[in-house]
Amino acid sequence: MPLLEVYNLKKIYTTRFGGNPVQALTNVTFSIEQGEFTAVMGESGSGKTTLLNIIAALDKPTSGEVFLNGKNIVSIKEKEISAFRRDNIGFVFQDFNLLDTFSIKDNIFLPLVLAGKSYEEMIELLKPIVARLKIEDILEKYPYEVSGGQKQKTAIARALVTKPQLILADEPTGSLDSRSSSELLHLFNEINNDGQTILMVTHSIKAASFAKRVLFIKDGEVFHQLYKGSMSNEELYQKISDTLTLIATGGAHSE
Amino acid sequence: MNRFFYAKLAVNNIKKNAQTYIPYLLTGIGTIMMFYNMSFLAIAKDIGSLSDSAQLRSLLSFGAGVIAVFSVIFLFYTNSFLTKRRKKEFGLFNILGMEKKHIARIIFWETLFTAVISLGVGLAAGILFSKLMILLLFKIITFKVTFGFEIPIVAVINTCVLFGGIFLLNLIYNVFQVHLSKPIELLKGSSVGEKEPKTNWLIAIIGAVSLAIAYYIALTTESPLAALFLFFVAVILVMIGTYCLFTAGSIALLKMLRKNKSYYYQLKHFIPVSGMIYRMKQNAAGLANICILSTAVIIMLSTTVSMYVGMEDLLRTRYPRNILVSARNVSDEQANKLDAAIEKHTLEAGLIPKDVIRYRSMSFAVSQDGANFTSDHSNNFAAGNIAMVVCLTADEYNRMENKSVSLDRSEALLYTLQGDIPGDTVNFNGFELSVKDRLASLETEDKMSALLTNSYFLIVADVDTIKQIYNSLSVNQGDMGELSYYYGFDVAADKEAQISLVSALQKALKEINADCYVEGAESARAGFYSIYGGLFFLGIFLGLLFIMATVLIIYYKQIAEGYDDRERFEIMQKVGMSRDEVKQAIKSQVLAVFFLPLVAAVIHIGFAFKVITKMLAVLNLTNVQLFAGCTALTILVFAVFYVIIYGLTARTYYHIVS
Ligand SMILES: Nc1ncnc2c1ncn2[C@@H]1O[C@H](COP(=O)(O)OP(=O)(O)OP(=O)(O)O)[C@@H](O)[C@H]1O
Ligand SMILES: [Mg+2]
Repeated sequence: MPLLEVYNLKKIYTTRFGGNPVQALTNVTFSIEQGEFTAVMGESGSGKTTLLNIIAALDKPTSGEVFLNGKNIVSIKEKEISAFRRDNIGFVFQDFNLLDTFSIKDNIFLPLVLAGKSYEEMIELLKPIVARLKIEDILEKYPYEVSGGQKQKTAIARALVTKPQLILADEPTGSLDSRSSSELLHLFNEINNDGQTILMVTHSIKAASFAKRVLFIKDGEVFHQLYKGSMSNEELYQKISDTLTLIATGGAHSE
Repeated sequence: MNRFFYAKLAVNNIKKNAQTYIPYLLTGIGTIMMFYNMSFLAIAKDIGSLSDSAQLRSLLSFGAGVIAVFSVIFLFYTNSFLTKRRKKEFGLFNILGMEKKHIARIIFWETLFTAVISLGVGLAAGILFSKLMILLLFKIITFKVTFGFEIPIVAVINTCVLFGGIFLLNLIYNVFQVHLSKPIELLKGSSVGEKEPKTNWLIAIIGAVSLAIAYYIALTTESPLAALFLFFVAVILVMIGTYCLFTAGSIALLKMLRKNKSYYYQLKHFIPVSGMIYRMKQNAAGLANICILSTAVIIMLSTTVSMYVGMEDLLRTRYPRNILVSARNVSDEQANKLDAAIEKHTLEAGLIPKDVIRYRSMSFAVSQDGANFTSDHSNNFAAGNIAMVVCLTADEYNRMENKSVSLDRSEALLYTLQGDIPGDTVNFNGFELSVKDRLASLETEDKMSALLTNSYFLIVADVDTIKQIYNSLSVNQGDMGELSYYYGFDVAADKEAQISLVSALQKALKEINADCYVEGAESARAGFYSIYGGLFFLGIFLGLLFIMATVLIIYYKQIAEGYDDRERFEIMQKVGMSRDEVKQAIKSQVLAVFFLPLVAAVIHIGFAFKVITKMLAVLNLTNVQLFAGCTALTILVFAVFYVIIYGLTARTYYHIVS
């Protein structure tokens, strides 16, 4: 059974003041296996963030189903949603979304505190992650005192600390310079090699070329997908680049 | 560009910022109304027909002054809040290519519009309400005469000048703010400086010590005269203490809570504690203001209300009998004449003196040191060692109390009204008397002076003994002269009859003794009502003003926090916090921040209670129960009011946050 299954997802935004309804997703169907590292690409406005938000149960689709581990998260009760999200999904955002009022350590602890863990448990969960991300030295600092790369690492640590089934990342490299970006992407590779499933939305071909699979979204539908297979990053990079050109010039569906 | 381009832009800005502009306008209108009304009352013609008009007028002018000072502070505060929130908007204008002078022009128009609206509506409403106000005032001071409607031009001009000045000040401040800042800072605006605040132990300790001293003073001051002076010292200390503890103390406490891991890392505490460390940095001063204002409102209302409600008690304390006659240096012969004259005139008025207290005595104002009394007045009143010693002869005492004691020349009976004389002897500068007995009661009821200072009644053998006391106390100051005379009685008569009896007595008794002084409770009643009623009116009026200020500060604080917290709570939801948990977290944080000032105010009042009762005694209010009741009621009403404000502003807050 795939870890994540998305069927015929449709999302129409209706604006409050009688504006035209916006169709963000038309008909999205795909699935993700346990342990996959998938990138989602598409033009600005193609509905990538919308898709992630629905998978994270932050938003409801107009129609369609989303199953995580066989559980339909669309029909999940409002009351259980947050607990569900906390236990199953780790979110990494483009703009980090760290809280200025918490130290780095407390930011990472936040989902654990929400889950009602004891301090000892939290420390146990924190240690290995902090060591892997190499952020031991900044734990007592505050978000405004650390670099963008360190902030993003903190956000990843926060996403990982609950040992989620699925990591969702919305343009995680968007605010980083190229050095921090590659560091982060290598990190994602490592985590993925340990068995962590990752779904990442990105604009960057380079970022996407780190993934094992790339989904292309156009006009609210999955337009195309690429498997890395035995390709190197560079080869995948070239392929992605070709596909994007094809999309831009209005090429037909393939596969 | 169109001549009215900036004016239009200004109107748009006001509309767009309605959420913060409307309270500002309402504050402006409210303070203008209040100031106009108070200045109107202070010079209103109608008040001229009162007997005590001068006193009432100065009370009302004082009120106008207080309102003026508060208006400056609050309109300035509100304005600076507005400007701070809008720095970003100005920064955007600046970056989009608008020069600072153009922004200044927009600000000018905005200020002009707010000034015109506030002054126009405020004055109009003020004038409309002025008649109602004067009727209310007259109702309170039980005065009936009123003439027509009046709009004193002086009051209008004063209002325009004062508030025009305030708006000008705000304009200058705003232009200055825009002028001083760089666009990039403008863009950051209100979010600059979100650094974690440092714990300032020195200030926290200063605060704790100030508050401790103030509370100590309030609890230990016994003498009312000392209370009058020390109260203001205590008030200043409480203010210092409140500010220091709210700013530094709160952060120190919160950080200590944060250090306690098992406490801090619980959902209930995690978010509020961390959030409040930041909130306190920005809002501590505002919260301290709310606390002090609340304290002031409650004290002002409870004292003025209890004095007004307790007016009859108060009159009876000041005038133990309906009619009081007192005179100094009265010979036996004169005393008999006075007795006869009082009885004669009272009977002529068709009345019979009841509950008569009559005695002759000699009073000494002395310095007390244990059982030793001297006439050394170098110690000031605040030291609280001033004492009144009233000497009566044994004969006088026997007559008053229907007794037949006889005393030796070296003996005395002691009745203590207030204070304490240790041991069995009293010593007047070397002249010693042994206390034969301590009396449990005495029919003198001269309570008024008794409450101000320590007071003792001493019954001695005869006039010669009193003279001996006099001579030892005041060496080389000539003869003591005759004893004083006191005659007080009640009559069963209406107000007019009592007043005319007092004036008849005044005339008749002056002929017997020029120093004779006749007072009547009824004659004084109007004066009492105009003073205490005036105070009551002022209390309500200023209470309303302060409440308005409190509401305003709370409202703005909530809005500011709402905008700051919105992002935080969004993030928390994304990380897996449910709506309910968010609401709960918001609630506990807002609740703590909101009710902290009220709780602190109630604690302040609890400690101040005793010293306030002492001060009220100086103003003749001795009914502690009444005052306690009024205080409790005021706190209750205020708390209800506070909860309503909380409910309303919390709604705005939730609205912003979610
Ligand atoms: N809350 C909303 N209300 C109305 N329309 C929305 C809302 N959120 C997104 N949209 C619209 O839905 C479409 C898809 O938006 P979405 O944010 O998913 O795009 P995206 O692929 O993430 O774009 P980008 O790469 O720029 O982040 C857009 O046309 C957007 O304007
Ligand atoms: Mg997006």
